Amino acid sequence: MLNEKRCVITGLGLVCAIGDNTDECFEAALNGRSGIADATSFDTTDCYSHKGAEVKLSDEELAGGKYDRTTALGIKAAGEAIRDAGIDMDSEDAAGVGVLLGSCIAGAACVDRYYNEKAAGRKGDVNDLKAITASVIAGNVADYYNAGGITANIVNACAAGTLSIALAIDLIRGGKGEIFLAGGCDSFSSLAYAGFHALRALAPSDCSPFNHSDGITLGEGAGVLVVESYEHAVKRGAKIYCDVLGSGVSSDAYHITAPRPDGEGQMSVINRAIKNSGLDFTDIGYVNAHGTGTAKNDESEFLSLKTLFENNKDLYVSSTKSMTGHCLGAAGAIEAVLTVKALKEGKLPPTTGFSEDDLKVLEEKSGDINFIANKPVEKEINYAMSNSFAFGGNNASIVFAKEPKALNLACPKQSLYVTGIGTVSGEYDGDSGDYKAKLDTDTFKAYGVKSAFLRKLDRLSQLQILSGIRALEDAGITVTEENEGIIGICIGTDDGPMTEIANFQKGIIKDGIDKGSAFAFPNTVYNAAGGYLSIATGIKGYNVTIANGFQSGLQSVCAAAGAIMFGYENIMLASGTDECTDIDDEIYDDLGLRGEGKMTLGEGSVTCVIEKDSSAAERGAKRYAKIAGFSSARDTSGDRSDNTRMSEKALTEAIMNVLEEGGMKPSDISRIYGFGNGIESIDNFEKDVYKKIFGDDIEIVLVKKDYGEARAASSSLQFAMLAKDIYEGEFENGIAVSFGSSALYTAVLLTKA
Amino acid sequence: MNKEIAEQIKGMLVERLRIPADELEYDSELFGEDIGLDSIDSIEIIVGIENLFGVDLSGSGATKEDFRSIETLTAFVEAHKED
Repeated sequence: MLNEKRCVITGLGLVCAIGDNTDECFEAALNGRSGIADATSFDTTDCYSHKGAEVKLSDEELAGGKYDRTTALGIKAAGEAIRDAGIDMDSEDAAGVGVLLGSCIAGAACVDRYYNEKAAGRKGDVNDLKAITASVIAGNVADYYNAGGITANIVNACAAGTLSIALAIDLIRGGKGEIFLAGGCDSFSSLAYAGFHALRALAPSDCSPFNHSDGITLGEGAGVLVVESYEHAVKRGAKIYCDVLGSGVSSDAYHITAPRPDGEGQMSVINRAIKNSGLDFTDIGYVNAHGTGTAKNDESEFLSLKTLFENNKDLYVSSTKSMTGHCLGAAGAIEAVLTVKALKEGKLPPTTGFSEDDLKVLEEKSGDINFIANKPVEKEINYAMSNSFAFGGNNASIVFAKEPKALNLACPKQSLYVTGIGTVSGEYDGDSGDYKAKLDTDTFKAYGVKSAFLRKLDRLSQLQILSGIRALEDAGITVTEENEGIIGICIGTDDGPMTEIANFQKGIIKDGIDKGSAFAFPNTVYNAAGGYLSIATGIKGYNVTIANGFQSGLQSVCAAAGAIMFGYENIMLASGTDECTDIDDEIYDDLGLRGEGKMTLGEGSVTCVIEKDSSAAERGAKRYAKIAGFSSARDTSGDRSDNTRMSEKALTEAIMNVLEEGGMKPSDISRIYGFGNGIESIDNFEKDVYKKIFGDDIEIVLVKKDYGEARAASSSLQFAMLAKDIYEGEFENGIAVSFGSSALYTAVLLTKA
Repeated sequence: MNKEIAEQIKGMLVERLRIPADELEYDSELFGEDIGLDSIDSIEIIVGIENLFGVDLSGSGATKEDFRSIETLTAFVEAHKED
């Protein structure tokens, strides 16, 4: 029996160093034309490597020059995907199109410009400042094309592009949308260049994956796929490239930058994707490998592939990074587009750069695997896989198929409960005027966190692991070899590790691109906190970080619920985390958002344990509350050029959706845990909408009055306090609501367990 | 041991690698149980030493033993520093 929600690919968009569109890129990849050349985006004179795989088009040519380069690349690829899929974005169809984009470095080009201006004693450009966080990318791309569906930015470093496609199929199968633009985008940046340079991870010359393996060559680009339910595609008469079957997501719980040498995490994720797709290892015809070109990656990946596909004598493998460079958060999406084309056309692209001598070595190294070197292979295949492995020990894998296939998703129709809560909140600090959390080493020592580990963690990660460990403790969960693979992590953040990003950039502005800090760089990726939580606790299941404005803490609950619904995990940690440092103060001051009559910043981390009924019953777990409904909604009416606009329509829709899902009426709701943060216009807008839906007497709790605007941590706190108050018997039904950029709202309905 | 150099190295380790100063002695084993540094930290030490003293640890043939503690790093710097 086929899964009721068959997902298909109906459009492709691609821009990277080897071409300005999908056809150009695919043709170049088949012909082994590399896009690697001397980097021109910035001066690399003092570096030991000078190579890059840059896109020739300017920001103006990509998207009219109004956007940060990462977003502009996303806009370019999304536009091609929309045209290819034949979606009329001026029609009603546009309202249902969601946008899920992966990014590693987000607005790094703007970070560079902004802090260079500041270093020169000038005022930075506010437009650069508005574009530095990953939180705005998907919303800006959606607004650009009038796409009115829900948005998310997946920020799991180099696995982000693959994860966003995985999330798209989960949302479609979970009934939260019918069509998504899913992919990833990242620009070339001094930040990433200096970071990989500091780690001595850049290849001295063109990268040579699975060959000389002496490092990566950075690239830039974007890949976007239109992922759609089969019914929706057929209804609108769309051409179908292929099916997208199952996905796998896992974490290594090992090291923040290096993969496990035994390949355990990689094998676990490939295993998951094969199993979820209802396939066997012998079914796969082509694997587009992660193949970065570092010794550590290539060795462990060779080992993983040879071990798992031992009985598959007909498997073809290549890494297209030898031509596209490593495009970080876009890599998985770019490779997914190339994989879909390879499957569709029966032409498999090679890994380039092998000499005659290299080919002899390769033959020995690759064993029974047919490693495609230098020249493409023409071969009809039925199933193709694309893999991505990232910093933070994050792994993601996805399977495409020529024909539909009965999947092997558990999809248990089970109730979900909140079974644990861990919080770290700020207290008012008169000196800074912010709500700051106390983080002392003794607190961490009490939980057995060693100082050798703790010193590596930036503030965001420290906040994160503390709330995560407290949540597990509160839920009475000990991570063991038996359960490590059925517990996952989903983290929401608004600004991510902005302090680390800004300080790293300031460092290279002062000392030079060749003098970046190898110690600090790993913490500049948004998913470092989730990676450290996995390392600290030993959790090896699903692991995703979403950066999507203040509502990210609530969206993490929605994504966590999805991961359990599809049987990936029994238990998920859903967190919201944001830090508040001098860097945040400066940013919010410069944005004109902080101070008297405006926001009072806060910080913190809140982790809630979300668990399915059978697992909670088996453990005899304490149940704070039951998740009765969750929904996100957006609205593109109004001025789409203003991504800070409010929308009564979208806020109302998110609330009505959760009421419908929970089978309730507005009068059943006792209390709303709202997002008001002291800005009068926002607070009044919110109150008015609730009164219209629930009547004048609805009780509204605003947690930010007591803890400051801690962004994603606040929306998680709203959810956690709602759960606690229901548990303590204050009332039976309540809703937590928050908002993100580009008129995105998320609501979660909790009810008595 | 040149105390001045040792103190500068200690300061660098505290700043660049966020090692708590009160846990760091001149003879603490940097890559062992005491402090628990790893390969990324060693890269940072190489850059830190080069910035401070102009001594290129990787180019001057420093061995694992030279990275053992502040004492051994100090001795290596003393031996290779050009005044």
